[in-house]
Amino acid sequence: MVGTPAAAGRPETASPGAATWPVAAGSPDAAAWPDSDPDRVMVRAEGLGRRFGDVWAVEDLDFELRRGEVFGLLGPNGAGKTTTVRMLTALIAPTVGTASVDGFDVRTDPEAVRARIGLLTETPSLYERLTATQNLEFFGRLHELPDDVRTERIEKLLRLFELWNRRRDLVGEFSKGMKQKLAIARALLHEPAVLFFDEPTSALDPEAAFIVRDAMESLKSGGRTIVLCTHNLDEAERLCDRVAFLRRGILRVDSPARLRASAGLPTVEIDLAEPPSEPLLANLHGLASIHDITAHGTGISVVVGDARRDTPTLVRALAAAGVDVLGVRVASATLESVYFDVMGLRPGANADSV
Amino acid sequence: MRWPMVRAVLAREFLEIVRNRLLLASILVPPIILTALPLAVIAFAGHQGHLPPSAVAQIVANHPNWADMSTEQVIEAFGLGQFLVSFLILPGYIPLAIASYSVVGEKQSRSLEAVLATPIRTSELLTGKALAALIPGIVASWTAYAATLSLSALVFGGRLAMVIAEPTWLAAVFALGPAIGLVSVTAGILVSSRVNDPRAAQQIGAVILLPIIGVTVLQASGNFLIGPTEYVAGALVVAVIGAIGIRIGTVVFGRETILTRWK
Repeated sequence: MVGTPAAAGRPETASPGAATWPVAAGSPDAAAWPDSDPDRVMVRAEGLGRRFGDVWAVEDLDFELRRGEVFGLLGPNGAGKTTTVRMLTALIAPTVGTASVDGFDVRTDPEAVRARIGLLTETPSLYERLTATQNLEFFGRLHELPDDVRTERIEKLLRLFELWNRRRDLVGEFSKGMKQKLAIARALLHEPAVLFFDEPTSALDPEAAFIVRDAMESLKSGGRTIVLCTHNLDEAERLCDRVAFLRRGILRVDSPARLRASAGLPTVEIDLAEPPSEPLLANLHGLASIHDITAHGTGISVVVGDARRDTPTLVRALAAAGVDVLGVRVASATLESVYFDVMGLRPGANADSV
Repeated sequence: MRWPMVRAVLAREFLEIVRNRLLLASILVPPIILTALPLAVIAFAGHQGHLPPSAVAQIVANHPNWADMSTEQVIEAFGLGQFLVSFLILPGYIPLAIASYSVVGEKQSRSLEAVLATPIRTSELLTGKALAALIPGIVASWTAYAATLSLSALVFGGRLAMVIAEPTWLAAVFALGPAIGLVSVTAGILVSSRVNDPRAAQQIGAVILLPIIGVTVLQASGNFLIGPTEYVAGALVVAVIGAIGIRIGTVVFGRETILTRWK
C-alpha cells in the first residue's frame, strides 16, 4: 500500500497542497490486494438495525459498497452515523439484520472484519505519552504484523504523512492536524480493505482539514473503499461517489450529482439597469426551454432547462431588446439544499417549522 | 488467549507508566518509605523499649521460637511484626493506582475505540492491563520486602532478620500479597469504569484494603494470631474473590459496554 518509493522519499518540507498521499494504482499496495475486482462488494448491509433500550438508533439499512467506492453517510447529530460505523466495524452487534465486510460477517467473524478495516474516529484516539513511532508500533502489533513489515510500513507512512522528523516526539506535543494525520497512518498500517472515517475533519482548523481531505482524495484515487461520516457537505460532494442521507434509516442514497439534479431545475438570476417591461418578460418567456420567469424590482429570475445552454440565449435576447445587463449568476441546487429538503429542515427556521 | 497481543498491551502500558511522573512516583515512593520506616522505628524502639516484663513474656508465649532472644530483641521483633501490613498494602495500593490511571486515562483520551477496532479480544486487552497493574505492585512489594530483610540483617543482625523470614511472613508476602493485588486490579478496573477521575477511583477502590489492614492490626495487637496456614487460606479466598472480580471485569470490559456505557 501507500505510495511509491519515490513518494516515500519525498522531502518533508513539501507543502500540504503539494503532498502526494498514499496508495496509487499499480503501487505495491495494489499488488498486495487479494482481489482487485472493481465490482467486488466490500461492504454489505441488509436490514441492519440497532436498538438501545427502547430506542432504535438506526434501522432497515440496506446498501452495498463496491471496491474503490467512497460512500458518504450524512445526517444530523444522533442520526445513527456512528452507530452504523460501529456495527460495520464489528464494534457493536446489530440488533437485527446482517452486515459483512470483504465477505466476513460482522456477527460471526468479528475479528476477521476488524482485521480488514481501518477506523479513523472523530478524535484521533492516540496515546499521547507515546511517540508517533510507538503508537504505530503498538497498533502494528495488534494487527500481528511481522517485525520487519511493521518497521518498513511505519517508516513509509510517517514519511508520507510528513511526520518522520517528529517520529520520536510524544504525540501529546503534536498539533491537531498532525495527530489526525498520524491517526490516518494508523488506520492504513495494516493495509485494510475498507476505511471508515468518522467526522475526520470536524475538529480541525482549515489547514489541517485541507491536509486530511487531501489524504482522503489520494486514498480514493488509489482505489480504497471508504465510508465517510461527515457534516461537511462540500467535503462529501468532493469526495463521495454516493452519499446516503441518514436519519435513523436511509432517507435517500445516490451520487451527489444525481441528488442535485433531482432537486429541480437551475435558476438564472439576472440584474438589469431598470425594471423589465411586460413585453420584455413575455418575449423572454417565449424563448425555448424557459420554464418560468419572475420579476422582482430590477432583477429577473428565470428557471431554465439547462443553464449552460440557456444563459447565453437569455443574455443575447436582453441585449437585442436594448436592455442593459448588470450581472448574471446561475443558482443550481446544492447538496446542502438537497440535504435540507430531504431532512425536512431549513437553516434558521424555528422548531415549529421543522 | 494470544500472548503476543497481551505482551503488546503490557509493553504499551509500561511505557505509559514510565512517562507518567505522578503515577511513577506513586509506585516508587511508597516502597522506599515502607522499607525505611520499620528500620527507623525499630532502631528507635529497640533502644527505648519500655515494655513491662509481663508483656514481653506474653509476646514470647505467642512466639515460642523467640525464646532465645534478649528482651531488646523481642521488643524489636515485635515492633518489626507490626510492619507486615506494609507488604500487604503495597500490592494492594500500587495495582489500584495503575489500573485507575490506565482505565480513566483511556476514557479521557478516548483511545480505546481505536484499540477495540483491531482484532484484539477484550479478554486479551483486560489481561494485558491487569498484568501491567499487578506486576509493578508485586515487584515493588517483594523488592521492598527483600530490602527490609537485607537491611534488617545488616542493621540488627541475622537473628532479628530471621523474624521477617518466618513462614507467617513468607505466606503473607508471597501468597496473600499477590492475591490482594489481583483483587485490587479488578477493583481498580471496575470502579474506574464508573468514574472519570483516577483519584476518585483510587479512593473508592481503597475500601477493599480496609479489611486487610483491620485483620493485620488485630494480629499485631496479639488478640488474633494468624499463622502461615491462615495466610495461605486467606490468599485462596482473596484469589477467588479476585477471580470473580475478573469475571465481572470481562463484562464491564466488553466492547459494547465500553463504547456505549462508559462516560
